[in-house]
Amino acid sequence: MSAHTPVGAANSQGRPEKIDDLIDSRLMARLDRLDVVSRKIFTGKIQGERRSRRRGQSVEFADFRNYSHGDDLRFVDWNIYARLDRLFLKLFLEEEDLSMVIALDLSQSMNGGSPNKFDYARRLAMALGYIGLVNNNRVSFFGFGGGKIERLTGLRGRRRTREMGSWLLDRTTVGDAGFSDGMRAIALGGQGRGVLLVLSDFLFPDGYEKGLAYVAGRGFDVYALQLLAPQEIDPARHGISGDLRLIDSETEAETEVTASTAVLAQYKAALEKYVGGLREFSVRRSISHQVVETSTDLDTLLLDYLRRRGLLA
Amino acid sequence: MSALPLMAVAWLAPLAATVVALATIPPLVALYFLRLRRTKRVISSTLLWTRATQDLRANAPFQRLRFSLLLLLQLLALLLVIIAIAQPQLDLGETHAARVVLLVDASGSMGATDCADGSTRLSVAKRLATERVQSLHSGGLFSGVAPAVMVIAFAKDAQVACPFTDNAAQAIDAIAAIQATDETTALVDAFELARAFTTVTDPDNAQPIAAEPPAYELFSDGRVGDLARVVLRTGERVIFHTIGSATTQNVGIAGLAAARNPDRPDEVQIFARVVNWNTTQYAGDLEVRVDGQLRAVTPKPVEVPAAQEDAKSGVRLAGETQVVFPSIQLPQGGVVEVGVTTKDALITDDRASVVAAPPHALHIAVVGRGTFVLKSLLEGMSLAALDLFTVDEWDRRVASDAQAPDSYDVIVLDDVMPASLERGRYLIFRAPPVAAGVAAYGEKSNASVRSLRDEHPLLQYVNLDDLFVSSMTAVAPGGDADVIVEASDGPLVLTVNRGALTLVYVTFDPMDSNWPFQRGFVNFCSNAIAWLAAGGNAVTDEPLAPGDVITTRLPKDARSPMIRTPDGEEIAIFGPPQSSLSYGPVRRSGVYRLQWKQSAEDRPARLLAYAVNMKTRIEGRCDAASDISFATERVAGVQGGGVAKSAAWPWLLLAAFALLIVEWWVWLRLV
Repeated sequence: MSAHTPVGAANSQGRPEKIDDLIDSRLMARLDRLDVVSRKIFTGKIQGERRSRRRGQSVEFADFRNYSHGDDLRFVDWNIYARLDRLFLKLFLEEEDLSMVIALDLSQSMNGGSPNKFDYARRLAMALGYIGLVNNNRVSFFGFGGGKIERLTGLRGRRRTREMGSWLLDRTTVGDAGFSDGMRAIALGGQGRGVLLVLSDFLFPDGYEKGLAYVAGRGFDVYALQLLAPQEIDPARHGISGDLRLIDSETEAETEVTASTAVLAQYKAALEKYVGGLREFSVRRSISHQVVETSTDLDTLLLDYLRRRGLLA
Repeated sequence: MSALPLMAVAWLAPLAATVVALATIPPLVALYFLRLRRTKRVISSTLLWTRATQDLRANAPFQRLRFSLLLLLQLLALLLVIIAIAQPQLDLGETHAARVVLLVDASGSMGATDCADGSTRLSVAKRLATERVQSLHSGGLFSGVAPAVMVIAFAKDAQVACPFTDNAAQAIDAIAAIQATDETTALVDAFELARAFTTVTDPDNAQPIAAEPPAYELFSDGRVGDLARVVLRTGERVIFHTIGSATTQNVGIAGLAAARNPDRPDEVQIFARVVNWNTTQYAGDLEVRVDGQLRAVTPKPVEVPAAQEDAKSGVRLAGETQVVFPSIQLPQGGVVEVGVTTKDALITDDRASVVAAPPHALHIAVVGRGTFVLKSLLEGMSLAALDLFTVDEWDRRVASDAQAPDSYDVIVLDDVMPASLERGRYLIFRAPPVAAGVAAYGEKSNASVRSLRDEHPLLQYVNLDDLFVSSMTAVAPGGDADVIVEASDGPLVLTVNRGALTLVYVTFDPMDSNWPFQRGFVNFCSNAIAWLAAGGNAVTDEPLAPGDVITTRLPKDARSPMIRTPDGEEIAIFGPPQSSLSYGPVRRSGVYRLQWKQSAEDRPARLLAYAVNMKTRIEGRCDAASDISFATERVAGVQGGGVAKSAAWPWLLLAAFALLIVEWWVWLRLV
């Protein structure tokens, strides 16, 4: 552990080292029944199992429009022509695949807490990605942190699970978040529109507003999953006491804190204000925000919380 | 000062403690406000903590000081150190010793009036000693059984004013009865006296009464001449109460002499020596009074150099100047008084007196050979009569008239010894005066001077360095003899003072020496005759010093002698008629007048005056000492008459150290 490894950072024994550490077979079996649900209908790149806003060749009727020259005569509604003597073209919703983008915060601030936030994020990303792959969605991973963007795109199908797991295992936390740059890269990445899951603690010194605005304006169905360690949610109950010089693992900035009752209360107020601000910002931009405490069991999160939130069905 | 509280605390250095407190306590508390000692802890992000503390700082201008055991312990330790720096002196109203000896200085320097209310040092010392007795007997929670108190007043010698007593009133009365003196100061006798009382054994008990040494409390200005001779014994503790101001300065008359002009006996020449104990030069007038009447004033101020510290010994040496006044007409004699016109804290030594007797021609008898040298010498003096006798003639004269020796001022015995030597004043050469207690045991030859007392009046202007004696009488002086000049084989010159008999004995014949060829022989004979005749109205009387005894020879028919002291008190001296009279020792300086009546109605009453002058060269230093150094240890003075106090700072520092250890242990546990 480096000098600036935050308290609660996973050590070599608790850190996932193989894919089975990220997701076990029992959970995989339970996740096989789930699918990612988007509140929006997106245009996919290939025909998939999802309705697309693009009119196409599915069996689900969408609308009529006047026939114009060159239209495929197979879609002319002859019954209407018989009754109205006018040519109308039947439009169908085309079924397309779902683009599922998982953005993973690789900043140093994620490597903290107990359970470790980064490990938890990787397990969650693995589970969500697995759901996407199982349902033939187009799954992409973006890792942002340390001033660079790491990508794994174009995954589809269960057989890409190992590749996805390996990629996640290879990721480490480094430097600051670079959240805005990361979100802009995703927005401009040409991944198509779909579900964007941002797994981060959203504790960015530069703020989260600019980054989220990038992806919110691009039509993503964005889920902001804010991962917070129990020490961050209730520090008083998790060993924060006395006269402390707190060192930021990302910026190495020092903050002197005397964990008095007043200060702890003020911290909780600041946390609620910060989380509330993120939630309000998200609601205004149709982003679904969810605080996830890393002590929450992953099964419970996936099979209960996220289903209730409508992300999974 | 009223009775002391049970637990009085005196602070020796409150200012220093205040400065240290102001310099240390606020920074210590500020350190806790600043919270510099913090445990480092790396966390994911300080974003929320920064916002929380920013909010808190925004809401409160000062952070509330939280309770901290470490801060409490550190403050306590710091307070103990600060209190230790203030040097508290605790007095629990008790003394650990079962016996307390109060030593009250009654010497001349204690007459200085430099105390706060203008009173003398002695009165302040007596007041403080009285309060000390009251405090020792005040009782209370912290007082055990009151110790026995002994009061000793000391000056040139020591007197027990009150032996050990449990009765406070008795001790207080004894303190009140202590009389001021103008004597010099000696402390050895006081300690010896106290030890004699504390080590006396009970006749019924073989064990000493007091195995534990007493506690000594010294009330003095610290100007004690024999401190270096005082050796404190094991367990003896001295508390020195400093009396007087450390800046008091003094100028006094250290010496005074009056001599008649041999050519003009009506005129008297006056010599005075002025000493200056000040650290600055003194300039002031001197005045001369005769029998209280102003007769002369110095034409210009007399300048006396400042006192100097001796570089080697560190002893302060007074500046001195000798003043010679123009001759004044004094045909009848009288008391000559010389004084400085400026007043200082110690007025006793501002004036000195000398008795100038009326011109009186001496009656001298020479018994014996009457050698040419001796006869020529005596004939050269202004004598009223010079009678020569053989020893047989003298014996017959005395046999017929027992008062014959009194009819001569001095009788010179030139190698003869009369049958009777009971009264009179004699200058004796060679023949041993066995009747005066001087035992001869043979003859010695080839003697020279080994030691001498050159300050004695007999040796004034007498140089004996070249004296060689070919033959001398070896004698063993009696207990009342005073050896003046001594050779390796015995005394060469001695004096004996035995009641009505006073003699100067030269153990060799001047003709058996080279002395007659030296000027010193003439001076010696003149001195001896003047000295012997001093009791019978010689030229001038040598002034006495406080502590001396007035001794004089009275005529056989003298009746009802009476002494009038300088303060006007008349003291009748009772007792059987006697040929000599002793009074004293005299304690105060001034002029003492002895008066008696003579049985013959037609003869007027006689009056003799004796001048007693303070030894200001020894006792005149008036700046009070802040501490005193005995032979074995140094004792710091207690200012303001503080009572026996114990220094608390060692215990305070020890407690502070213990607190720091506890604080260190707590810190280890917390961190």
